[in-house]
Amino acid sequence: MTLLKAPAKQPAVRPRPGPARRRARRDPSSYVVLAALIVLAVMMLIPFVIVAFNALKTPQEYSSNGPLSVPDGLYLDGLKDFWTRVDYGQKLINSVLISGTVAIVGVFLSVLNAYALGIGKVRGRLWVLVLILMANLLPQESLVYPLYFLFKKAGLYDTRLSVIIVFIVIQSAFGTYLLSSVLAAFPRPLLEAARIDGANRWQILWRIVVPIARPTIIVLLVFYFIWTWNEFLIPLVMLVSNENQTVSVALGVLQGQRLMDATMSSASALLGIVPTLAFFLIFQRTLSRGITVGAIK
Amino acid sequence: MFSKRKGVAVLATLAALGMTAAACGGDDGGGNDSGGGTQAKVLKLWHYESPDSAMAIAWNQAIREFQASHPGVTVKFEEKGFEQIQKTAPMVLNSKDAPDIMEYNKGNATAGLLSKQGLLTDLTPQVSKHGWDRVIPANVQTIAKYDARGVMGGDKWYGIPNYAEYLQVFYNKDTFEKNNIKVPATFEEFTAALDAFAGKGITPLANAGAEYMGQQYLYQLALSKADSTWVSNYERYTGKVDFHDPAWTYAATTFADWVKKGYIAKNSVSLKAEDAGQAFISGKFPMMFSGSWWFGRIAKEAKFDWGTFAWPGSQLTLGSGGNIWVVPQGSKNKDLAYEFIDATMRQGVQNTLANSGGVPVAANAATVSDPKAKELIQNYNALVQRNGLAYYPDWPVPGFYDTLVSQTQKLINGSASPDKVLSDLQKAYDSGLPK
Amino acid sequence: MKTRDRLAYLPYLAPGMVLFIGVIAIPFAMNIGISFTRWAGVGTPDWIGLGNYRELAEDSEFWASFRHQFALVFGMSLIPAAIGLVLASVLTEVIGKRFGPRTASVLRACIYLPQLLPIVVAGIVWSWIMAPEGGAANALLEAVGLDSLAHDWLGDPKTAMWSVMVVMVWFQIGFPLVIFMSGLQRVDPSLYEAAEIDGASWWRRFWHITLTQIRPEIFVVLLITAIYSLKSFPQIYVLTKGGPGGATNVPSYYSYQNFFEKTDVGYGASIATVLTLITIVLAAGFIRVQNKSLEEQ
Repeated sequence: MTLLKAPAKQPAVRPRPGPARRRARRDPSSYVVLAALIVLAVMMLIPFVIVAFNALKTPQEYSSNGPLSVPDGLYLDGLKDFWTRVDYGQKLINSVLISGTVAIVGVFLSVLNAYALGIGKVRGRLWVLVLILMANLLPQESLVYPLYFLFKKAGLYDTRLSVIIVFIVIQSAFGTYLLSSVLAAFPRPLLEAARIDGANRWQILWRIVVPIARPTIIVLLVFYFIWTWNEFLIPLVMLVSNENQTVSVALGVLQGQRLMDATMSSASALLGIVPTLAFFLIFQRTLSRGITVGAIK
Repeated sequence: MFSKRKGVAVLATLAALGMTAAACGGDDGGGNDSGGGTQAKVLKLWHYESPDSAMAIAWNQAIREFQASHPGVTVKFEEKGFEQIQKTAPMVLNSKDAPDIMEYNKGNATAGLLSKQGLLTDLTPQVSKHGWDRVIPANVQTIAKYDARGVMGGDKWYGIPNYAEYLQVFYNKDTFEKNNIKVPATFEEFTAALDAFAGKGITPLANAGAEYMGQQYLYQLALSKADSTWVSNYERYTGKVDFHDPAWTYAATTFADWVKKGYIAKNSVSLKAEDAGQAFISGKFPMMFSGSWWFGRIAKEAKFDWGTFAWPGSQLTLGSGGNIWVVPQGSKNKDLAYEFIDATMRQGVQNTLANSGGVPVAANAATVSDPKAKELIQNYNALVQRNGLAYYPDWPVPGFYDTLVSQTQKLINGSASPDKVLSDLQKAYDSGLPK
Repeated sequence: MKTRDRLAYLPYLAPGMVLFIGVIAIPFAMNIGISFTRWAGVGTPDWIGLGNYRELAEDSEFWASFRHQFALVFGMSLIPAAIGLVLASVLTEVIGKRFGPRTASVLRACIYLPQLLPIVVAGIVWSWIMAPEGGAANALLEAVGLDSLAHDWLGDPKTAMWSVMVVMVWFQIGFPLVIFMSGLQRVDPSLYEAAEIDGASWWRRFWHITLTQIRPEIFVVLLITAIYSLKSFPQIYVLTKGGPGGATNVPSYYSYQNFFEKTDVGYGASIATVLTLITIVLAAGFIRVQNKSLEEQ
């Protein structure tokens, strides 16, 4: 079992400190670390600041002062124009619908797969895992023509469901791999104890395994949502009608044109990340409120 | 435990709802499928020009006029992205979701390929019926007509160009005046001006090595030593193409030489067209050789006095008909589609195109009020009259654009000799020819 | 575990497998079929047997571009994973404990943010930053008196790949960071406390507890990000288009270009097949090593 092998001295069954555990000392070196991390965080954000600047500039300002100048004032027409031009409200609904469904169903599928592979250790699991990972490692462009053909046959071409189905499979591959690796190291005694208590496999999955793997599961939920949100190629090909399209395809409307409208591109980018940012920040709270293995007794 | 289970249930319900909602797909505005008799008809129209472009302004007018003259017909317009059409047109046109009429890219790899596969309607009968062949200059017609192999310049019309485009030198009058440099009329004066600017530490030509601009300088240099047979051989495979001929050799060596002399910046290697255009508009470069598609933008945003002139000393220059209207084979309202094309060819719409800074195929300079726009049209008419449109260097071979970008970059940063660059171009060209 | 026991887990794998066959296995088989043809994406494909593969074997540019792939594996997989691991540990151990979990999660959000930005937009912004004239990077160098270091970052073949790697690292760190932090939540805090009481240095704790405890996550992150780097054409495309003069060309570029720019779908499919098979072999080997290493514990 994993936990017992840690090289540090194994703690005897010590009483767990309550939530009001003391905060560790703040020595000077920890301030240095904090400062360094803040500098890093700011550096990571610089490109976003540039995007925001250009989203708020007039095209004339951009042309004469370049992309890196600070905007003279707030120019919101770029945002407004883009919103109405691509009917952003509808795109937002589509993207939320697609990404949300993919996130939830994809996580569910990953949990089932990982339960069989990580805990069930079904025969040939190495190859099953490699097969499932194929969903991730196949270049998407090679899927485009076959999927187009299959969905057309099934009457699902140009429906949002087609994109949802594809991404449930593609995204869940990652989760299957991550979760089954994590669950392979799952403390067996817990499972045995539950079985002795009379729980069946389904109950063990939902009462023991899922709660313990919760931090990872939430990470998956967040990732699936964001990844699906930013997917471009397959939605571009599968969703023909404007009313079915997603936000990232709408951003693509501005790309590849011979004349790039930099201010509107920035405005669209800004509008495009706000929903995922909100989503991430909401789940950020749950992310840090994980449960540790030891907490389940 | 209970609340957690409730959470799971809520998530499950959400997911189920999502699936059902998604399965319904988009409501297509209802029954234009059967196109039934007396019911209101819908003309499904796609194009990918941005709303403030000359084309979109003119076509919006055409839509209004069309609806006024066709009571009971609604034009359902969807704005698409260039990339979307580029990547998905074959798939869309092969499905029941095809529009009734759409803008499509000209060229062998796009319209040519789809015409060969029978996905586009042969418009030849319509052309003679509406007299479009009389309106569209012969030099521009090339991109609208394809042969059985899908090679342009053929005998059958598969698309109708509504506008045209060509390249010229945009220049900053203020910078010329300030530096006491004469606006060139001949090639000697042109190089003298380049030299004078370089001598003052100003890079005279804006360039973008990572995109189309670099290769367009190169091709223009070659064109200045070429004739229409040369162009036809290169673009339409009518004869042998040798990249070590005098024209290409002159182009590659001159281009490399200009970089050395500082006429073209060495650090333009990684720049995109947008960067170069933006730099020109902000006054950093006195000249930029690029397409008429910049016209509207420069007119709107440049804060200096500017003008244009054709590449001095060359009969030929880059340019062609613009993108074309095509009628998919699966179009449910072909007759309406033809009539809509005709509406965009009318003088009123064409004049709007011209007055918005575009180059209409059927241009009448007399009706254009803005002096610069007038000049744009006059230059176009002059080019068309002398059969001077020589298309673009990347057309003959699919994927040649990237090869040209990459080889031009090597010329700019000097990592390969002109001779080596030309040999590599030859190799890529030969291996990409239609089999 | 008994065989009968293992079989009992198979139903959990069933939904995943059915979807996988429909969305991945059949399309991949079709892709292999397409790779034996010459096909422009529309009309009837011409059967040419192994013609595409023969051409590919001799395509020297394709194989040469694998060299750049190694650089990308560093930029997108190894370096971000290493940085992410240290950051995750510091954020959890130092910041989380001394300045509260809220500070830690704000910092994590900032570092994760680049993952939200659509890659097209990120590419545009970074090319502004690295622009040879008026770019932010050079302006910064000049401001601190290092004019001599100012450079055409993406334009010089010698620095182009390094510059791309910087952008990739920026883009990628958030992913391992979030996964590692969630993994660290599984770790029993008493392990650290015991080690601290024993006077183990931060480094020793990092090495002996953090590294061993989240080993499953480390394996997963390494493999998945390495796979992503194999599919990184979009990133390269927006930053350098493979330039200057092919200096940042990668294998996936070939696949993409053949599918959509040359519409030589058959050739594109053969490249995709070869890339997939190579990746499958590497992934299978990697997972085997991972299983061994996790079982040793």
